[in-house]
Amino acid sequence: MRLLFILFLVFPASLLYSQEKFSLSGTVTEGDTGETLMGVNILIPELSTGTVTNEYGYFSITLPKGEYKVRMSSLGFATENLEINLKENVKLKISLLPDSEALDEVVIESNVEKLNIQSTQMSANTLTSKTIKKIPVVLGEVDVLLSITLLPGVTSAGEGASGFNVRGGAADQNLILLDEATLYNSSHLFGFFSVFNPDAIKELTLYKGGIPARYGGRVSSVLDIYQKDGNNKNFAASGGIGLISSRLLLEGPIKKDKASYLVGGRSSYAHLFLPLFDNNNIAYFYDLNTKINYQLNENNRLFLSGYFGRDIFKISESFGNSFGNTSINLRWNHNFSDRLFSNLSLIFSDYYFGLELKFVEFEFESGIKNFNLKYDFTYYSSENLSYRFGINSIYYGFNPGKVTPTSPTSGINPAKLTDKYANENAAYIEADIKLSQRISIQPGVRFSNFNRLGQSELFVYENDSPLNYNGETGIYEKAKPIDTISSSKNKIVYTYNNLEPRLALSYVLNDDSSIKLSYNRMSQYVHLISNTSSPTPFDIYAPSGKYIKPQLADQVAVGYFQNFTNYSLEVESFYKKVQNRLDYINGADLIANNAIEQILLTGEARSYGMEILFKKNSGRLQGWLAYTLAKSEQRTPGRNANEPGINNGNWYNTSWDKTHDLAITGSYELTKSWTLASNFILQTGRPTTFPEGQYEYEGMVVPVYEARNSSRLPIFHRLDLSATYAASKKENKSFRGEWVFGIYNVYNRKNAASISFSENTDTGKNEAVRLSIFGIIPSVTYNFKF
Amino acid sequence: MKLLLKIFPVLLFVFISCEDVIDVTLNEGEIRLVIEANILVNRENGETSSYVRLTTTGPYFNNEVPVVDNATVEIIEDADVVHVFEYQDNGIYVGELYPQLNKIYELRIHYNNETYTATTQLFETSHLENVEQNNEGGFFSDAIELKVFFQDPADVRNFYYFTAVSEKGIRRDVLEDGFFDGNKIFGLYRADDLAPGDEVKFTLAGVSEQFYNYMFTLIQQTGNGGGPFETQPATVRGNIINTTDPENYPLGFFRISEISNLQYVVQ
Repeated sequence: MRLLFILFLVFPASLLYSQEKFSLSGTVTEGDTGETLMGVNILIPELSTGTVTNEYGYFSITLPKGEYKVRMSSLGFATENLEINLKENVKLKISLLPDSEALDEVVIESNVEKLNIQSTQMSANTLTSKTIKKIPVVLGEVDVLLSITLLPGVTSAGEGASGFNVRGGAADQNLILLDEATLYNSSHLFGFFSVFNPDAIKELTLYKGGIPARYGGRVSSVLDIYQKDGNNKNFAASGGIGLISSRLLLEGPIKKDKASYLVGGRSSYAHLFLPLFDNNNIAYFYDLNTKINYQLNENNRLFLSGYFGRDIFKISESFGNSFGNTSINLRWNHNFSDRLFSNLSLIFSDYYFGLELKFVEFEFESGIKNFNLKYDFTYYSSENLSYRFGINSIYYGFNPGKVTPTSPTSGINPAKLTDKYANENAAYIEADIKLSQRISIQPGVRFSNFNRLGQSELFVYENDSPLNYNGETGIYEKAKPIDTISSSKNKIVYTYNNLEPRLALSYVLNDDSSIKLSYNRMSQYVHLISNTSSPTPFDIYAPSGKYIKPQLADQVAVGYFQNFTNYSLEVESFYKKVQNRLDYINGADLIANNAIEQILLTGEARSYGMEILFKKNSGRLQGWLAYTLAKSEQRTPGRNANEPGINNGNWYNTSWDKTHDLAITGSYELTKSWTLASNFILQTGRPTTFPEGQYEYEGMVVPVYEARNSSRLPIFHRLDLSATYAASKKENKSFRGEWVFGIYNVYNRKNAASISFSENTDTGKNEAVRLSIFGIIPSVTYNFKF
Repeated sequence: MKLLLKIFPVLLFVFISCEDVIDVTLNEGEIRLVIEANILVNRENGETSSYVRLTTTGPYFNNEVPVVDNATVEIIEDADVVHVFEYQDNGIYVGELYPQLNKIYELRIHYNNETYTATTQLFETSHLENVEQNNEGGFFSDAIELKVFFQDPADVRNFYYFTAVSEKGIRRDVLEDGFFDGNKIFGLYRADDLAPGDEVKFTLAGVSEQFYNYMFTLIQQTGNGGGPFETQPATVRGNIINTTDPENYPLGFFRISEISNLQYVVQ
């Protein structure tokens, strides 16, 4: 609280002393398309100060009256140098030209995306759509999540596993934002492809630690993805035809330089995955991205964006399944002054899961919906001080499941699992303070509040204990509810409040290196109910309440950052602890369970490690080497001394714990037309549980399992290659085509996705069966742009 | 609903994945007593079969498990009448017992100077009525599929253990009437290459909720699990305890089930 107090003291003071100064503000866009550019460095060398453009391409810096050189630079763009005579407030509209085009000209300003040494932000990685597209991928499908797993500190539970794990956290602990709307499912086809259409994406930033106060609601990471706004100069189209899917994206001005639209679609081929069966079997996915933006005047801009994605499976007449995300987002950028930037967002997002089993004659539906109102402000006080503050309110509706018989003769009764409601509110303030030439700090605090609202049936248990431990048989058993309470969904039945302090600090050692430190506390009020190694599409979210406490994470990180001429080096170390991590009793059945609390126990998780990222940012050879040495584990002790908890209360490795994780990715521009790219991945095998014996029961051979996750799958490694041929640009021809040839898993390594143990029904012998998902897979994709 | 868990991995890995048998070195756990104590009362004709099979756990890749032939086995009816079970062979002990509703039965085993006990009672079942045969069953409409129907009694919580056995394979399933209370519902049987003339024997047994949970996990663990959607496997315990040394707990279950049988010849 003292921190808040100091912030508020500094705030008006800075207003007072800023009279002698003027602000330099504006937006930076891409010259060809009018697309706003985020993260552009704006440097004032004379004062050795600067700023960066925000998510909407806006920047503002307040400087003493005077003449300045201003330098604007961004990866992939030619640096722009300006001279400004600041004797009044100045507003700029700057366009940067892409590097590749600048290369053709004689004057080349060397442009290296240097690490932002001064910025307090650490543990964050930004990838542009261009970088993502250079990475070789399975079946030629450019994939956002796959590119993220090549970064240090990011793992997944394996090939074909959905979601990703950041710094030892679980997949549901990642906040995934697409144009600020929360996505609940990030994968198509159960994890093989991510839901993001690479053509529609401008840029993404993954925050693994030092998470600023403006983000909250998940404990491990924030993946903040921004869609393109749409070309406001000319009509343009881009697309591609691949083995799995085809894409088409159209964009153009509605009103030149003022308003533009973007419509993108992607769909996989319907019969692709089930071609051998001649029935009406289909398995495909599609997604649609749309966006309209309108610059009303220099102080007001509106954005309307939408995302709709579905996976669809149908197997003959007996089985049908569809699931996916929907999000709609209306945003209003408004400059109250040159120094006060604001954004108001109204967001709806929805995750739907539907299933029809015709042969059992019923349908099942579940999902989560939320409405989110956000109002965020940035106040640029002086060249050494800026603030961000805002409020946020989310309303949740959870549908844990609804069963409907599909015929009058169905043996299944209609059933509705109780809908749940909640709201989550937050207010935050963070300040970017440059204390001296060497030291910058970013203190922040987020206050979050979660209200569980009434529902039609809430179970009450004796001693408030929804599960009991039977000491004789050593088994946790569901408790029988002694009562049910119904209350209005307008009534608050349970409340949690948390104060989440955040702090980031950077100490500049010299022009090219710095040390950074950060601490963050995060709280998470909604939990994915999942006891599989990686989430499945039918896992549901459950809100905190009487029986489920919010997860709380504390993370500290320290890092060393250095720029070399063409390289950069980031070394970080972190420690993270999560309280109230949910775990499930043995044999828990999570599906269509109306009393999840009866199978849950609460434990804790911790992870720690070291990450190295060595990057080459310029030249014909570009890419990075990422190495992580880490540990991720959890434990669930009993609630009292007589209970063993889960796994006897001992720490055990999480399913995504990988001691060593090395990823090398690079691209080499061979000629103007040919570019080669390659990935190499080497990881410790993921933890798993093997049998340590067997017994016979009821004619079955039953494995006796060892302690949870105490063995590991074999080492995982893989090499991928790709070659891209782009016809060289011809004069006066806007059409550009590109062929991408790829080979995934070049040396056909049979990496184990799992090893399962069962009795061979023919020989009667027990055996270990390795499942490997992707062998060597060649692919070819054609992309175009005009 | 747990059918879902089986469908998804199938969908997923149909084309791109590959499976092969590999050598894995496993750790070896402690040896435990395994008890399969089944008292089955036929609903239709009142015939009772009572047996207790005692074995121990063994290394996973061994072809068979050791049998226990030197234990004493008793079942005590209502803390009063003692039924002694005699050893036959292959770890099986046999005795005579005619269980009745609402009576408490205690299993008592002495083995290696330790005592193992469990109590249970008789659980009722429903009558297997008729079989419907569908020759266009399965996901791909090319398999013979049998549905065997029974009427679940209304307003009673029922748990069932269902088995279907033929030369072409065995299917085990556990059912609870949460979604079909009071309805006519079916158990499903499907096996590769099921053909006309094959004989199938269906059994529906009434069981306790604890047995339902136990068997549910066992079926999951003995099915073709694996893949990224596998659940965390763990050794589950049944209803039998070691009163001498609780840490040296046994595996297996003591159950008394009313059963309904139905024989069917595939048309």
